[in-house]
Amino acid sequence: MKNLKFGALLMTAALTGLLAQLSRAADEELKIGVVAAESGSFVSAGNTIVAAAKLASQQINDGGGVKVGDKTYKINLYIRDNRTDVNVTIAAARELVNDVGVKAIWGTETHDFSVSMAKITGPAKVIQFSGNSSLGAVLDDKSVAPGGWLHYTFQSEPQEWQRSGSTAKGVLSLLTPLLAHAPKHSVVFVGNDATGQYLSSHYVKALEAEGQTVDLVKYPPDTTDFSPLLTRVKGMNPDIVHFWYNGDSTLTAFPQALKLDVSPAYFLFGVDPGIYQQRQLRSDKPVTMSCVPVCWGSSPYPAVQDYFKKYFDLGASKGPQSSVSLLYYDYFFMYAKALEQVGSIDKPDAVVDALLKMSYQGVVSPVPLTFNPHHQVTFATEVCLVKPNTSDQFNCTVEQPPPAPPAGDSGG
Amino acid sequence: MAASAENSSKEKIVAAVAIGLFLVIFPWLNPGYRYLSLAITTGITAIALYGLGLQFGQAGIMSVGHAAFIGVGAYTAAILSGNVGAGFWVALPFSILLSAFIAGLVGLPSLRVSGQHYIIITFCFCALLNIALTNGGAFTGGATGLDVGSIDRIFEINFDQLRNAYYLVILALFICVVVIYLIINSSYGRTLNAIRENEPLARAVGINANLHKIGVLMVSGALAGVAGILQAYYLHHISPALYGPFPSLYLALMVMLGGARLIYGPLVGAIIVNFLPEIMRLDPIDSRIAYGVGLLIVILLLPGGVSAGLFGAYRWLMSKRQQ
Repeated sequence: MKNLKFGALLMTAALTGLLAQLSRAADEELKIGVVAAESGSFVSAGNTIVAAAKLASQQINDGGGVKVGDKTYKINLYIRDNRTDVNVTIAAARELVNDVGVKAIWGTETHDFSVSMAKITGPAKVIQFSGNSSLGAVLDDKSVAPGGWLHYTFQSEPQEWQRSGSTAKGVLSLLTPLLAHAPKHSVVFVGNDATGQYLSSHYVKALEAEGQTVDLVKYPPDTTDFSPLLTRVKGMNPDIVHFWYNGDSTLTAFPQALKLDVSPAYFLFGVDPGIYQQRQLRSDKPVTMSCVPVCWGSSPYPAVQDYFKKYFDLGASKGPQSSVSLLYYDYFFMYAKALEQVGSIDKPDAVVDALLKMSYQGVVSPVPLTFNPHHQVTFATEVCLVKPNTSDQFNCTVEQPPPAPPAGDSGG
Repeated sequence: MAASAENSSKEKIVAAVAIGLFLVIFPWLNPGYRYLSLAITTGITAIALYGLGLQFGQAGIMSVGHAAFIGVGAYTAAILSGNVGAGFWVALPFSILLSAFIAGLVGLPSLRVSGQHYIIITFCFCALLNIALTNGGAFTGGATGLDVGSIDRIFEINFDQLRNAYYLVILALFICVVVIYLIINSSYGRTLNAIRENEPLARAVGINANLHKIGVLMVSGALAGVAGILQAYYLHHISPALYGPFPSLYLALMVMLGGARLIYGPLVGAIIVNFLPEIMRLDPIDSRIAYGVGLLIVILLLPGGVSAGLFGAYRWLMSKRQQ
């Protein structure tokens, strides 16, 4: 009887231990936050972040999760809609950092919001991946150093001088053979907001480095009738008009430019060949376009084609900003790999070091992704030319970034 | 009659104590960081709304460019911080004074034109300031804006901690409410009411309406300056988009929804607009529809705003209970 009691006690203890172990194993979750505009004026960009995060986390979890030390973590996403409002953005960031206890945050899509968020994620030592190249203005030796306010922030889009350089080169190489004479005069037509100002400052320098004389024409961000400004642009007699950077605005302005016959050639930044085809845009003038970061409508890479197939199969919409999702997708895998290397999810400084040393073959680039000491990634730019008078015949080229910023561009 | 007045002042004191107590204990009710953060931004907005409520509710001068004066306060703080290294406490009086001065300056044309023209002037000023800030180069940070550090500690209080930031905003809000209450119940407040009700008559009895109108606009601007510097140091980053015509329209909406004449009106308006979409999970489009419908209802049924409606409902319930 005594032995029976002892045996029962032992069994109970063993079962309790087993149950505790099982429940602990079931509890291993890796909390990752996503702050993006699922409503409001940035919704088209925000939805792509959420869709990319869902796809990446699903693939990682389906693949068995993140193996860190002797534990396996499943990614649990905490998605918060910032409603395109900075107050809601920082409230969401504080909730994710302090209440939920996320280890990393993906987002947001705009410079102002990302910077305000970094002031929260930095002190809390939460890794933040943001796709804004305008972060380059604040990522420097001091801010990314240990103790700096951007030590845990990573820019998942190339430095703007790199992208501007490769884009300018690609656009000119595709358009020059189709024009009556070598283009000399470019007009950059850009939205006058934070991103537009930052991006165009680099693109103008990149075009000048390619021998162009450049005029910059800014339009107010909410413009819908571009004809007065485009008439002014026409009066400048440009060889190429570059619609830079907001794809949605460009899709409104470009048809107006065609009607006004503003230029003998165009470049549309942020307009995907897929959208050009979908909207059945057509021009008798040569038109080039590039996407942020890789086009979904006409990519030469099988890995990218495969990615977008899975992305759209998940129900994501085919929009002008769909390609933006790739600014967030690969970095889930990089972060997971960094955690595996560090062997803990609670050592953010070691994770930062691991990310900085890492070389990862992602979808967004045919060469492995690496972060530079300022926490910025590098990859090439794809530029496509649509055959005049067609909507669906594209010739795409991939341009590598220049080795150094052009004269007059301080980098960033 | 005397008993009724006594009851009314008792009710006011009880209401003030209850609201004050709720605001003080709010962080201890475990609202979570999200709602605490929203409470801070609501408090900052309410400070600016008290200024707008004073000029609209007491003097009858509406503005749809009020965010611009908040922007003046915020940019003054950010520019002083970036160029001179002045911290929050040093910049605070400059933000207040410059916002008040600019508000007075913008108010000067209002002396020559009637109400609706002044509304257009404020709107134009707001748009103009936005353009100037967006194209101000390194001085204003352009469209990208400016970064601001943390509030300097006093008595070792770290204002980067959310609860401390909350109490700082509540303290500022309390001071603003007291100032507004004193103004409303002073002879100056009654003079403003006289101007609002019948300006020609007020002038006829010897009131210097011009001076008083500029005065109230400057007080309103000063409160906007307080809100601006608090916002800049809370967000740690400001940009022109925060101070454009659209945020200004939201401020006007909040003050009309909440009610401009009652002391709790601006606070109620700020709470409705900041918390309603969060609690009801409304996206920005739905929110705007709700605000539009709400504003129509308020104009038609509750001309004194939601706060006056709530107060009226309370009075009605009490009278029913007594019967």
